[in-house]
Amino acid sequence: MAVKSEEIATLIELFNESEWDELHVAFEGVQLFLSTDPNARLCSGGAAVTAAPAPAISVQPVAVQAPVARPATKPATPAPAQDAGIPAHWVPVKAPNLGTFYRAPKPGAAPFVEIGQAVEATAEICLLEVMKLFTAVQAGVKGTVRRVCAEDAEMVEHGQVLFYIEP
Amino acid sequence: MAIKRLFIANRGEIAVRIQRAAKSLGIETVIGISAADKDSLGAQMADRAVVLGPAPSSQSYLDVNLILHAALATGCDALHPGYGFLSEKPELSRLCMENGIIFVGPRQETIATLGDKLGARALALEAGVPTVPGTDHIAGVAEAKTAAEALGYPVVMKASAGGGGRGMFKATSPADIEGSFERASREAEAAFGDSRLYMERFVERARHVEVQILGDGEGNVLHFGERDCTVQRRYQKLIEEAPSAALSAAVRERLHAAAVRLTAHARYRNAGTVEFLYDVDRDDFYFIEVNSRIQVEHPVSEAITGQDLIALQLRVAAGEGLGLRQDDITIAGHAIEVRINAEDPTRDFMPSPGRITRWGPPDGHGLRLDSHVYEGYLVPPFYDSMVGKLIAHGRSREEALERLLAAVKAFRIEGIRTTLPLDAFILDHPDFRTNAITTRWLEDRGLPAFQPDQE
Repeated sequence: MAVKSEEIATLIELFNESEWDELHVAFEGVQLFLSTDPNARLCSGGAAVTAAPAPAISVQPVAVQAPVARPATKPATPAPAQDAGIPAHWVPVKAPNLGTFYRAPKPGAAPFVEIGQAVEATAEICLLEVMKLFTAVQAGVKGTVRRVCAEDAEMVEHGQVLFYIEP
Repeated sequence: MAIKRLFIANRGEIAVRIQRAAKSLGIETVIGISAADKDSLGAQMADRAVVLGPAPSSQSYLDVNLILHAALATGCDALHPGYGFLSEKPELSRLCMENGIIFVGPRQETIATLGDKLGARALALEAGVPTVPGTDHIAGVAEAKTAAEALGYPVVMKASAGGGGRGMFKATSPADIEGSFERASREAEAAFGDSRLYMERFVERARHVEVQILGDGEGNVLHFGERDCTVQRRYQKLIEEAPSAALSAAVRERLHAAAVRLTAHARYRNAGTVEFLYDVDRDDFYFIEVNSRIQVEHPVSEAITGQDLIALQLRVAAGEGLGLRQDDITIAGHAIEVRINAEDPTRDFMPSPGRITRWGPPDGHGLRLDSHVYEGYLVPPFYDSMVGKLIAHGRSREEALERLLAAVKAFRIEGIRTTLPLDAFILDHPDFRTNAITTRWLEDRGLPAFQPDQE
């Protein structure tokens, strides 16, 4: 089973709310390294996995529980759990249709928006491509970009949350 | 199998049916659905389901680009369009080909030619397949009168761009011609944006018979016998059976040969249906049209031949050829299918969407149910009303009929109204039992006699 972005988001939320300094999780070829130290870097290689620090062990059940908690979830249904830890007043910006998500107006260009950036409701914040036809998606609300929930150049589905904006 | 991952560009029971065949061939499935179909059986069965867009078909199931984008982005190498929606749009076939995706259907040129009534008619004439005696375009009232004299009254005027019975007007004598011509051309313009008309001899007592075929695209075509779909309401089929009990052996043989000749001439690829009008009084048949896709009623042909038509469709699309000879296809027994629509037959077939609170299908020997619903399923109001098809197979027409009638009566559905009571009424009607029906029977005699309270 592939790791879902919302599961990673859950882990990040958990880490943010904890008093841990570092979190390192490794499963099924995916490694996640979180640290409060901006200069910290993960030592790459298998050794790091076996030398997982205590917090990683205590976190493990979370990674397991996340999929178990909603066994019926299909790729078709962007899980409600992705809202976990998102303040209620943040507004999701959802994909109006299936398409390929692009954060920047063209390859190599700067993204339309970055986290922490203030946007107007009419600001174009990403592109959705359907068979070479690019359509801009607007923020829809004036506020600050708090989350980017989709990967650049990946397919997103109708109704999938692309961003969270704090009004 | 050259196909590894199949995109299903459809919903409902056919999305389930296609996946059963795909999985039996070891093919992975991805289905593109609308937001209203997230809980559908088709979505649950798929290896992956992706939400294309919101509920309206125009923003989901009918958006060619959206569907192709989804198929490409999910790594599919083939696409099955099912029936309805985009299945007979040449553009989908073309776009698949241009993007390296196998289209489980005919080439775009074939779909375009067969989708045009006059194009299909010309093809039939080239292949020596009889059509209803008729004309090419008729330009005006005077030309219409001359043509009607040559054909013999009654005649019917039809829209060249038409379908589904719209833009059709009958004339029983020269006095009717002018009025019929004006009305037909006005309605054709309104319905299709094309006022061109042609004229045909009108068949008073007609049955709808059709031949199931499979072509490899190289001019080789097999047939799987014929179906009889004479029970219709407003050109919508309600009950289908195979074989047709109305044909003599000689006519049946000529009918099959005509269907094969026409589609072989078109170098048809894919499963298809050649539809004919059977003229009871003249004991003769005329070509109507080719449906260049799998049809709703394909299970009755599967029942009497023992073949999996969708699997064959996939094999042909994958380039494996027909894999069968005509001698391998034998007809055994008789099969009848009823459509179960979420409509209230006692209230002019008003759609009856809603939550299915009880779904209790019958069980028994020789029965097959093709459906995408289950207890607790919400029938969405956005699409076709069909919730299932019940098929019975028996050694004879009588056996199949009794089996199906008992099964229809035993079927318990609650929460929505369905056409099951009407299905039971028709199956049990002496006219249906003795096969004394025509395409107008249901509307002229069946429905007026239907007592809503009897169930």
